[in-house]
Amino acid sequence: MGIYELINFYVIPGLVLGSIYALGAVGITLVFGILRFAHLAHGDLATFGAFTALAVVATTGVNPWIALPVAMVICAALAVGIDKVFYDYLSERPKIITVMASLGIALMLRSLIQVIWGVDTETYTRGIVRPDNYWGFRIRDRELYTLLAMFAITGALWLFLQKTKWGKAMRAMSDNPDLALLSGVDNRLTTMLTWAIVGALCAASGFFLGLNTELKSMMGWTMLLPMFAAAILGGVGRVEGAVLGGLVVGVAEELSVLVLPSEYKAAMAFAILIVILLVRPTGLLKGKLL
Amino acid sequence: MTSVLESAPPSQVAGNPVNKQLVLDMQDVRGGYGDADILHGVSMQVHAGELVAIIGPNGAGKSTAMKAIFGLLNVRGGQINVANTDIAGWKPNNIVKHGVCYVPQVNNIFRDMTILENLEMGAFLRKGDCSAAFDKVFQLFPDLKERRYAHAGNLSGGQRQMVAMGRALMLDPSLILLDEPTAGLSPKYMDQIFEITCNLREEGLAVLLVEQHAKQALAFADRGYVLASGHNRHEGTGAALLADQEVAEMFLGG
Repeated sequence: MGIYELINFYVIPGLVLGSIYALGAVGITLVFGILRFAHLAHGDLATFGAFTALAVVATTGVNPWIALPVAMVICAALAVGIDKVFYDYLSERPKIITVMASLGIALMLRSLIQVIWGVDTETYTRGIVRPDNYWGFRIRDRELYTLLAMFAITGALWLFLQKTKWGKAMRAMSDNPDLALLSGVDNRLTTMLTWAIVGALCAASGFFLGLNTELKSMMGWTMLLPMFAAAILGGVGRVEGAVLGGLVVGVAEELSVLVLPSEYKAAMAFAILIVILLVRPTGLLKGKLL
Repeated sequence: MTSVLESAPPSQVAGNPVNKQLVLDMQDVRGGYGDADILHGVSMQVHAGELVAIIGPNGAGKSTAMKAIFGLLNVRGGQINVANTDIAGWKPNNIVKHGVCYVPQVNNIFRDMTILENLEMGAFLRKGDCSAAFDKVFQLFPDLKERRYAHAGNLSGGQRQMVAMGRALMLDPSLILLDEPTAGLSPKYMDQIFEITCNLREEGLAVLLVEQHAKQALAFADRGYVLASGHNRHEGTGAALLADQEVAEMFLGG
């Protein structure tokens, strides 16, 4: 197999899948870092975002790319609402209770999606899109845009966290929540802001999965493990780590087909997760120890 | 001997700055974490431009008294007046706005953030231009200015303490609470931190200090309070407490 085949059939699809994982993993790492629990409803929130975009496309007939920001805003509001009604109420209790609650939210969201949109497979656009050829590298427009959009969204988030007052407040709360409180940071507002960002990221992640494959009510749930693997691989609490982790997990899953039966593709994320926890539990970019 | 120190009203204790503004007036404060009381009636006063040390054996309630001021435990009785307003029961972020800043003993910096960002977090509640506050903090801690883009977690213990104090000073507080600022520091940094603490007093801040190094602290302090088992045991000028036989035997290691 030549280098072109390797890149066209494994690396490029891996990077696209990795971008989708990365968007989810960034959200997971933010929740882990700032709110200190594993958010198991993450995948189903992504599914909800994907279907919200579908609803916008179906009802208004707009281009899916216009539906994306709408879905991000709706998902952000939903995430803030879920926090207000469920997670905030449990915030004084041991974190494991919130984790379990998020599993319940995951099931509720999935059922809601199935009630509203059914269990059939859907797509944003019909027809087959052939990849364009760039000097032998074959890539579809939507694949290219997925990669670019992922870097644009995570880059914007990174800038927000590094440069703005509230971004710094989020990092401060992740770093030392007690001291953030002593500095006058309103942890309630910071938490709401975190959920708004996480919800928007979830919608983007689900949207790009739907754009590059299909929309299914289980699509987000099956992404949960690779997204967690990506967040932990990159180093919990680190946005750039989650992006790197997402891309590594995505490419590794696609490449695994070369040596393993393709049924084991999904096991790759699990293998990476176990290895990283054994070898370097702080992740590649030295995040928080879990 | 001790009865004189205990019974004398603050204004009659030698060295008490009667002419200076009373910043902190804590009266008979009782409270603790959860339901059990740790403080059983602690009273203390700090004036502007005054350095007051709280000393006492382990478990006396020194740090707890400080946390009570800052709203970090359940206060069940007494008054905590800061600038003539009772702040007992307030939330920490409102207390910060009221001009009180607190430097905890441990975990007092943002490790993954730069020195500059640590100071920016200190100025979080400040509206508008903060450059004057930065200048002031960098003037107090020149070491920090050179390394302002370094991550605070990579600094030495003494420099971390400077970051922690700098962060607290960014809001121009009228009262600063320092919880064992010299714990675990080398003698060189200990002297430096004490010196800076004295400078804060010269600038007119009210400084309340909890110290394990009681002798050094009392030598610097204008006044001191000796706490034991959650009660006021003694109070007086730093020099008077150092000279007191009972205080020396019981709390200063003879």
